[in-house]
Amino acid sequence: MTTAALTSPMPVLDSGDAGLANQVRSEWTKLRSVRSTWICLIVVFVAGIGLSALVSNIEAGQWAGLGPVDRASFDPVRFSQTGSFLSQFVVGVLGALAITSEYATGSIRTTLSITSKRSTVLTAKLLVIGVVIFVVAEVTAFASFVVGQAVLLAHGAKALPAGASVLTLVHSSTIPYVSLAAGGALRAVFLSGVYLLLLALLACAIGFVIRHTAGAIAAFVGILLVLPLIVTVLPSSVAQSFEKYLPSNLGLAMTLVTTRKTDFAGVLFPPGTATVLLVAYAAAAVALAGWLLVRRDA
Amino acid sequence: MIAASRLTKSYGTTRAVDDLSFDVRPGVVTGFLGPNGSGKSTTMRMVMGLDHPDSGTVTIDGRRFRDLRWPLREVGALLEAKAIHPGRSAYNHLLAMAQTNSIPKSRVDEILGMVGLDGVARRKAGKFSLGMSQRLGIASALLGDPGVLLFDEPINGLDPEGILWVRNLLKSLANEGRTIFVSSHLMSEMALTATDLVVIGRGQLIADTTVDDFIASNTEATVLVRSLGAERLADVLRAGGAQVSKREDGALLVTGADASRIGDVALAEGLALHELSPVQASLEEVFMELTSDMVDFHGHTPVEVGA
Repeated sequence: MTTAALTSPMPVLDSGDAGLANQVRSEWTKLRSVRSTWICLIVVFVAGIGLSALVSNIEAGQWAGLGPVDRASFDPVRFSQTGSFLSQFVVGVLGALAITSEYATGSIRTTLSITSKRSTVLTAKLLVIGVVIFVVAEVTAFASFVVGQAVLLAHGAKALPAGASVLTLVHSSTIPYVSLAAGGALRAVFLSGVYLLLLALLACAIGFVIRHTAGAIAAFVGILLVLPLIVTVLPSSVAQSFEKYLPSNLGLAMTLVTTRKTDFAGVLFPPGTATVLLVAYAAAAVALAGWLLVRRDA
Repeated sequence: MIAASRLTKSYGTTRAVDDLSFDVRPGVVTGFLGPNGSGKSTTMRMVMGLDHPDSGTVTIDGRRFRDLRWPLREVGALLEAKAIHPGRSAYNHLLAMAQTNSIPKSRVDEILGMVGLDGVARRKAGKFSLGMSQRLGIASALLGDPGVLLFDEPINGLDPEGILWVRNLLKSLANEGRTIFVSSHLMSEMALTATDLVVIGRGQLIADTTVDDFIASNTEATVLVRSLGAERLADVLRAGGAQVSKREDGALLVTGADASRIGDVALAEGLALHELSPVQASLEEVFMELTSDMVDFHGHTPVEVGA
């Protein structure tokens, strides 16, 4: 009945404080102990591989009937990363839920009343979410790439020479596939995973700011889907200067193989610039999240 | 030891806590009473560093919450029993808490056994009854073996056996020298459990005292009298300066004259007494009377138009 019945020794703590490492352990326990985490991660992986195989198969089947313009925009890397169009929303949900579920259930007040530094909670959550999603997103990106090229190969594809120009592709009679050694392929596949990581961190930060699951996810989806629609109704001169700054177009810029010019690629940033910009968006959202977390009542 | 000094907190135009000062000493159970919306939960959230006071300070063993290095080991709280992710097991909930403060896993298992949840530790907390959730909340408060404990309505949803368990637990924790601060809307429960009382209404301190003193100083001694000559006795007592009211069953309730004086008066008048018993006001009655005064007082203040 009394606590005297408890015999488990409590480590004596002379120095330091509860700290970041402890908080990271706790956040990992929280993340792994709810089913939605595993569902989201499995969806990312299965959708990545499945859509890569499906889209590569469809595109390969249509190769014979394609005209020169369509053949010029035939991008074996991008087909293999089609799953990321779905996964960007899944990782957004996962990132937002990591914090909004605590606000929804009220357990945020437990979290904040057992740690003296609130910023530690934000840092630990971003670290855990970030590492988990980065690992799953990269594994998925590379696995999807391999699956996509294998499907093209099964249709009799030939390897595209490194640094191949549009001209070779237009005059090519066989379906092309690429290896990771081909120009820009490794970078495009790697940044495909980085794109998902940055979106998850952005969504998590939005979750800290909005503190409601539905609101945070709506805001996140709005940024990815609705913002581009709004930009398209602006006068085209204005739209063109804004379009390339949209997170969805930054993602496209990061994952296109730019040795191959498409109509669209003309208005996009180079991959490096796009990555830096998206990092800056996520960092700004995290900074706002941290500023509010420390100041607001829980 | 919890020390609140001139705590003030407003939400918008509503002043939830108003210049509130009190001390909660170790070694006894201190009850925290107030009607709904009187600022109890807000005060507890400020103690736990969750809400920031507009002004004033509250310290735990001399330090503000944000200056605690291992908070879970210094202060434990049950604020909302149902504030748990419904898909997470009780074990994982406590484990995640324990990890933040370097508390060993073995302690999690022990605490679950102590509150009687070891059999359901791996089940989703969302399937728990309110009573089981309360037990889990108590477990999380005790997890870090803290010297200061706060419980907001800990017996909500518990069965009689559970209520008895909590009552004994609180007392034994206090006997171990811990500081125990418990809010409850069940005044009768506080009368059984608490030694000290902090009473608030409308965010303001009404009393910071002991349960016994609180009752004694806020009630006039009332005596219940039964007599066949009740009418006559009432007249004589009134003439002697006492207040007398008559109940439907014919008994008299007398204030302003104690039992021995009533007995003397009855003897002098030659009236036989069938009953003569002092009535102990319950904590609940005292509390209701005090807080209804508070509400009346506030009812007379002008209300801002267009608020």
